[in-house]
Amino acid sequence: MFKVAKADNGVIHMSGRLDAAQAPRAQEFLDSEQGPCVIDLSALQYISSAGLGVLLRTHKRLMAAGESVKLVEVNAHINDVFSYSGFDRLFAIETASDVG
Amino acid sequence: MPPLNQLAQVPVKKRFPRELDGLEALVSFTDQFFRDGSVDSRLRFAVDLCIEELFVNMVRYNRETVHPIQLELATCEQGVKITLTDYDVERFDPRSAPAADVHAPLEQRQPGGLGLFLVMKMVDSIHYEYANRESKISVVISDGAQHV
Repeated sequence: MFKVAKADNGVIHMSGRLDAAQAPRAQEFLDSEQGPCVIDLSALQYISSAGLGVLLRTHKRLMAAGESVKLVEVNAHINDVFSYSGFDRLFAIETASDVG
Repeated sequence: MPPLNQLAQVPVKKRFPRELDGLEALVSFTDQFFRDGSVDSRLRFAVDLCIEELFVNMVRYNRETVHPIQLELATCEQGVKITLTDYDVERFDPRSAPAADVHAPLEQRQPGGLGLFLVMKMVDSIHYEYANRESKISVVISDGAQHV
């Protein structure tokens, strides 16, 4: 089960499994974001390359408009996937351990 | 009655319709394999990722067939062996896929192309067989591999 929602403070929360079946729904949600985008991944258990594509597409679109995507509360599994994919050089990333 | 870890040596296999919406069924099948075989849960993320990336690759690129794709899971001395078989398709050896440039700057990065790259990063070994229009990919994932 994948869920994405925006909290009152503007932070987007993703939870569950962001796989190829759920990527279109995540993309549709993020396509409506216009400003700087903070995505809390503390409850995201799994991400595949399809999910990485959603984040990359959104980051490129917002960067072109002078904005960006920040990924926070990233767990160790997902942070490793970001690292292998070179996303750690493209995105501002805060891991769960960074926060404390 | 043999212990669970011996039962898990027997491969389990099932055929799945070639639909992305069917990924949930693959996850449920893998859930049961890990549960019934008492398989090391630390391997789960890498196993899920390899299954999805290989399955999705077959669904997206082997469009000339309508046959379901077979997933087979087994434990082995090193960890977990995953085998996906696609029927009535052209040859495609994933080892020959171009490597993703993960060092490229943002403006040069395009979505896509990371799936097989991540599989290669996470497995101990990968084996490919093609005969009689059957395409079979096997990978082994262990707790010593560079998986997450």
